[in-house]
Amino acid sequence: MSIALEKALDLIFAGDRTLLQILAVTLRMSFASSLAALLFGVPLGILLGSARFPGKKILIVLNRTMMGMPPVVCGLLCFLMFCGVGPLRRLKLLYTVTGMVIAQILLITPIVAGTMEPFAAAIYPDLRETALGLGLKKKKLLWLMVRESTYQIVSTYLLGLSRAMAEVGAVSMVGGAIAFKTNVMTTAIMNYTNMGNFTMALALGIILLAVSLAINITISALQRGTGQ
Amino acid sequence: MKKLFTVLLAMAMMLSFAACKDQNTPPDDSIIDVNLEILIEQDDSMINTYSLLAVNDAAPFEDADGNPVSDVTLNTQGADALINWLLSEEGKELAANFGYDEYGQYLFYLLDDGASSDAEIPQATEETKLIRMSTTTSVNDSGLLGYLIPKFEEAYGYKVEIFSAGTGKAIANAKCGNADLILVHAKAQEEDFIKAGFARTLEGQNAERLSYMYNYFVLCGPPDDPVGVKGMSVTDAFAAIAEQGAKFVSRGDGSGTHTKELSLWPQQLGISEDPTSFADYDWYISSNAGMGACLLQASEQGAYILSDKATFLTFVANGGKVES
Repeated sequence: MSIALEKALDLIFAGDRTLLQILAVTLRMSFASSLAALLFGVPLGILLGSARFPGKKILIVLNRTMMGMPPVVCGLLCFLMFCGVGPLRRLKLLYTVTGMVIAQILLITPIVAGTMEPFAAAIYPDLRETALGLGLKKKKLLWLMVRESTYQIVSTYLLGLSRAMAEVGAVSMVGGAIAFKTNVMTTAIMNYTNMGNFTMALALGIILLAVSLAINITISALQRGTGQ
Repeated sequence: MKKLFTVLLAMAMMLSFAACKDQNTPPDDSIIDVNLEILIEQDDSMINTYSLLAVNDAAPFEDADGNPVSDVTLNTQGADALINWLLSEEGKELAANFGYDEYGQYLFYLLDDGASSDAEIPQATEETKLIRMSTTTSVNDSGLLGYLIPKFEEAYGYKVEIFSAGTGKAIANAKCGNADLILVHAKAQEEDFIKAGFARTLEGQNAERLSYMYNYFVLCGPPDDPVGVKGMSVTDAFAAIAEQGAKFVSRGDGSGTHTKELSLWPQQLGISEDPTSFADYDWYISSNAGMGACLLQASEQGAYILSDKATFLTFVANGGKVES
């Protein structure tokens, strides 16, 4: 452990090119997929939590099922879609970062929606009364919901981001762990382990956790400014 | 409250980091001990031949439902360039010398009558720039491709994307139209691939399967060798392992090494890819994992294992010491 830690520090301070590249791909991918998942998931979650429409319960159950979808299954589906003989082959998304982002969006959106739904359901009745009292329109009510959920949204975002950064099943299938292109921290750790280079694997693990800690500290600090 | 918690957490992490640093470094610098040693090697039946195959862009590609797909795009010119370079004098010499400086042994040898090429290699163009190569873990994890490919890329301006998995998966990947060429090591699977029309013959070559280098499969096991396979022929050794019921870790993943291993067991045991064929043998551990993971498992369990020599040497070198 101590050697791996030293190795991790060495790598960071030496600005190891491979490491920086892997880190850059990891961050690019996780930020893109978690932000997109937030964009799709939050409205969906609020809708599921507050609106009333036929089939809502079924949708909630389906969404909860999707929350538990194993990443490898998601990866396999995307692989079959994007692969050279797949229906979406012309998009040329296999073994690209964009392909990985799409797989992760499919994986994370249900999680975002599923965490927002019970929260929205809990705050909705009060907000609706307020809105009725003030004579606000539906659009304004939705906006009010979003504003009231800021704190929850940030927490949910962190959940999605961690999922994106830590996930390996889907990205290794869709990304193929191609060096200098789609190799991210988790797939690189797998590669190094397979080569018997445990020190390097552990060092990458430590760096990944440290990056995650830094991001969490920053966003949590920002979150405190959101009022709750 | 939260602020306090965050600060506490950060402090706890710092402290644990510091505590790690204070500990004395273990004397041998090793994270794990690889408790395995090569017991049988350089037996003629253990030759492990690597072949290059260019994927045919007019191959009978099928989608997941078995419907024909006719418009799979492959970079045939790029594949030709890379194959011709790997088979050129320069490429072959580099491959043959690889690993000596690092491991004190050659990891790959050239076949005497192996394929070779003196075709001119064109510079990359915008359309032919990206080459997708599907290959086995042994040539990638041992570092061979990491050593060769940058030299090729630099000289001719191509960009090679390497996807590495067991031979079975590497070939399946090519059948899905995800690779322009493959470098694999399982003759029977390669021949099926050719028979199904997925390979093509390069200009100036007389076969689809371009075998050009080899190394050896090695039978590894615990250094005290409880079965006493040292000095035996490989087939006798496998028979003895089975007879004594000594633990054996199998890749079990359709890789080239797995294919080789299946051919070495005595016929009457009936061991095949089918899991029911070895369900009664509690000593036979089918692990369905990469070479590295299997070596680790064998080492932990004191089991015997078949490995390609290159991966074994790199694995032990990496696991036994911390490289600077």
